[in-house]
Amino acid sequence: MNSVNVSRRHFLQSGAVAGGGLVVGFSLSGCSSAAAPLPVANTKGAWTPNAFIQVLPDNTIRFYTARSEMGQGVTTGLATLVGEELDVNPLDMDIRLAGVHEDYENPLFGMQGTGGSTSIRAHYIPLRQAGANTRALILEAAARDMGVPRSSLSTDNGFVTQGDKRYPYAAFVETAQSLAIDADAPLKSAADFQYIGRDSRRVDAIAKATGTAQFGIDVDIPDLHYAVVVRPPVPGATVRSAEVTAARGMSGVTDVFEIGNGVAVVAQSFWQAKQAAAQVEVDWHSVALGQLDTKALRADYTAALDAGDGVEGPDEGDVEQALSAATTVHEAEYWAPLLAHAPMEPMNATVWIDGDSAEVWTGIQFPFAVPAIISRVAGIPAEKVQFHQTYLGGGFGRRGSVNYLREATEIAVQSSKPIQLVWTREDDIQQGPFRPASLMRIKAGVDADGQLTAWDAARAGGNISPDSFRTLLPAAFPWMGDAVAEGVAQLSEMYFEKFATDDSSTEGLFEDYDHANTRVTHMTVDHDLPLTFWRSVGHSYTAFAKESMIDELAAAASVDEVAFRLQNTQNSPRLNNVIRVAGEHMAKMNPPKGHHLGFAAHNSFHTDVAEIAEVSVENGQIRVHKVTCVLDCGQVVNPDIVRAQMEGGVVYGLTAALYGGLNLEAGAIKESNFHDYPMLRMNESPEIEVIIIDSGTEPTGVGEPGLPPIAPAVANAVFKATGQRLRSLPLQLA
Amino acid sequence: MIHFMLNGQSVQTDADPDTPLLWVVRDHFKLKGSKFGCGAGLCGACTMHVDGAAAKTCVTPIAAVADKSITTIEGLGTPEDLHPLQAAWHEHAVPQCGYCQSGQIMAAAALLDANPNPSSDEIDAGMSGNICRCGCYPRIKRAIQSVSENALAYDAMAQTEGRA
Ligand code: FES
Ligand code: FES
Repeated sequence: MNSVNVSRRHFLQSGAVAGGGLVVGFSLSGCSSAAAPLPVANTKGAWTPNAFIQVLPDNTIRFYTARSEMGQGVTTGLATLVGEELDVNPLDMDIRLAGVHEDYENPLFGMQGTGGSTSIRAHYIPLRQAGANTRALILEAAARDMGVPRSSLSTDNGFVTQGDKRYPYAAFVETAQSLAIDADAPLKSAADFQYIGRDSRRVDAIAKATGTAQFGIDVDIPDLHYAVVVRPPVPGATVRSAEVTAARGMSGVTDVFEIGNGVAVVAQSFWQAKQAAAQVEVDWHSVALGQLDTKALRADYTAALDAGDGVEGPDEGDVEQALSAATTVHEAEYWAPLLAHAPMEPMNATVWIDGDSAEVWTGIQFPFAVPAIISRVAGIPAEKVQFHQTYLGGGFGRRGSVNYLREATEIAVQSSKPIQLVWTREDDIQQGPFRPASLMRIKAGVDADGQLTAWDAARAGGNISPDSFRTLLPAAFPWMGDAVAEGVAQLSEMYFEKFATDDSSTEGLFEDYDHANTRVTHMTVDHDLPLTFWRSVGHSYTAFAKESMIDELAAAASVDEVAFRLQNTQNSPRLNNVIRVAGEHMAKMNPPKGHHLGFAAHNSFHTDVAEIAEVSVENGQIRVHKVTCVLDCGQVVNPDIVRAQMEGGVVYGLTAALYGGLNLEAGAIKESNFHDYPMLRMNESPEIEVIIIDSGTEPTGVGEPGLPPIAPAVANAVFKATGQRLRSLPLQLA
Repeated sequence: MIHFMLNGQSVQTDADPDTPLLWVVRDHFKLKGSKFGCGAGLCGACTMHVDGAAAKTCVTPIAAVADKSITTIEGLGTPEDLHPLQAAWHEHAVPQCGYCQSGQIMAAAALLDANPNPSSDEIDAGMSGNICRCGCYPRIKRAIQSVSENALAYDAMAQTEGRA
């Protein structure tokens, strides 16, 4: 846990707010002199011991969640960490979504961002410490105020208790805020946990079941105008000329103008803007991507793999020698297509620029970027940008890209009106940034004892890091000019093409098994497609290749698929144990006639997951009846949320496995909405059983790791059902 | 001027008659609980009740609901006074991102009103117009079943609270 052992004491010196006045924040690094005020509610009489907690005079305990809530349950999880040590039931807290401030940095990122299934891992100790230190201050204050020894006092859900007497925490904040703690309060031992590790309901469920949770698209401010952007059919093309007269004349329309990547239509309502946008005719500049279709894309990847001169990743032992010595050698090629994220809430942002200051409302995975982007686009100081985080109607990586915020700001500047930009579903599916397509080849060798000896893996496709630099560098380095930032992004493109693998392109392709001789090669083929993180990132396609290959090898060597995996994961004991437990479970399953079980296991985001898919094939249709998911994510904070994330990961991954695929035609995405980019629905959704192995080790991620094993588990079951090896996603029978 | 009932109140709007009900409710009447997901009748995020039946309101022009009675998620229940389905959603920790859930609950309420004790297949059929990208389907089904198993209690509550 060293990496998250930030200087916790500084949480606690953050001083006091007397009478609801100025709240002074201190950075995690301890550099307090230039700290900005904490963006917390200015409630009269509230005590704000740190950036996460406020105690109100009526003893309401407010919790500010620093991580973006996109459904993964992070708000409940983090409130549980604080509540455990502060001794307040998370369900009794007043939950707020934090604004932007350095105290809200993700310790694993060094900036305020949510992703990579890091939140619980990053905050497991720091947030408990913030709760423990606050409770210690309250107890110390109570002891002084009451003139009794501190050891005679205890706490219970927001109250200091003395025998059977109960005093609200709020009664002691005046004294507490004058105290400074000089050492971190001790943390509870796991045996004493009352909230961590127990099922509990979600702190946001009532708001979300009553339509009262506020998403970005629900924000309403005076004089709000709505914007829709007419976008190029080929992502990245710019406007040559536009005919906008008809649109200008339509009812409710106030402005129509060109922005960097299209034509913005502003109206009094979203519907009016959308109707008018349909009347805009644009002649677009042509771009190189306009020549590309899916077939050519895949052919380019094939040519790159055939040429074989990519960048070397991990290289251990002598792969060629091991392959020639192996008794079983098998080679296969796997394909995964471009995908859109399609979060249920389309991209949107509300931006109000008022003189030299601005207010912004959006649900975003990287809040740190908001002030810098607005400042850059609108030419106002970053300190004058006030950011309001909303709930995210799904993220999946898509809300880590800030292009929608840039556009909204551009439109707010040009129109001089408070603007809510809303992407249509068609924009969402066709414009990217996308999950990159991938062509992967694996050649592997097994010796006479069933031991994997050689693993030669290659992947061709685009990399996501350069586009991440392109969007986030200008935010991370406000002093960097746009041209310089673009230059760095281009340098990184060249770097990953020629010198080093982009880890997110090959992660998951080679790490899990014990082959002594390993070679990983990457061929960057970049067609200027906008690319980004997509739930589980590289693992979303590499696990399909790797776990299909393992299954094929086991079949080729006539070894049981579970035994083969067990034998070859001796160096990954936690994964090995997950495979063992799942294998024992599978052995006891008794699927009805015509149903077949497929197995896959994968480590991602430090969590080990094995999945068993029960599949039938009827009339050429693949039907997944049941999925059993066995995982070890270390110490569990909320088992029910772990189960929910596995369920969600399975459904998201199954949608991709069975249906997901975007196709390019002359550089444009052919699919446009849920009729041709279908999502799994309830009638197609399997029963999902989740088995959590509580190993008690440090907590690891759950938002993403449920996804990678599902596609290969289904493909491996289809093989048993039909004898066909399906090596292309989405899975379709010949 | 088009007149209709919105959550029991008589309202009128001068919005263009082609304007979908969803946008009239969200942008004119400022009830933001009903969501925009696809704009094409494909996802159910915008589901409301029109004269008691579930409707995809992103493709329902306002002209088509003249003089009808519309119920939105805000009219079904409130945090202080939860509809049994909303309570079940909390109890079973159904929502993840939550964006689809207003539509899911409105579809479920219409389903149970028409069929207070649906089978698993009937729930599938009744709910398959609603996408949940977060994959809450197993929980949605469980929550619906938990209410339908208590169908009598559900009916009684609906009657006493005028929610039938
Ligand atoms: S928004 Fe109406 S069905 Fe999707
Ligand atoms: S809860 Fe996110 S789409 Fe259903």
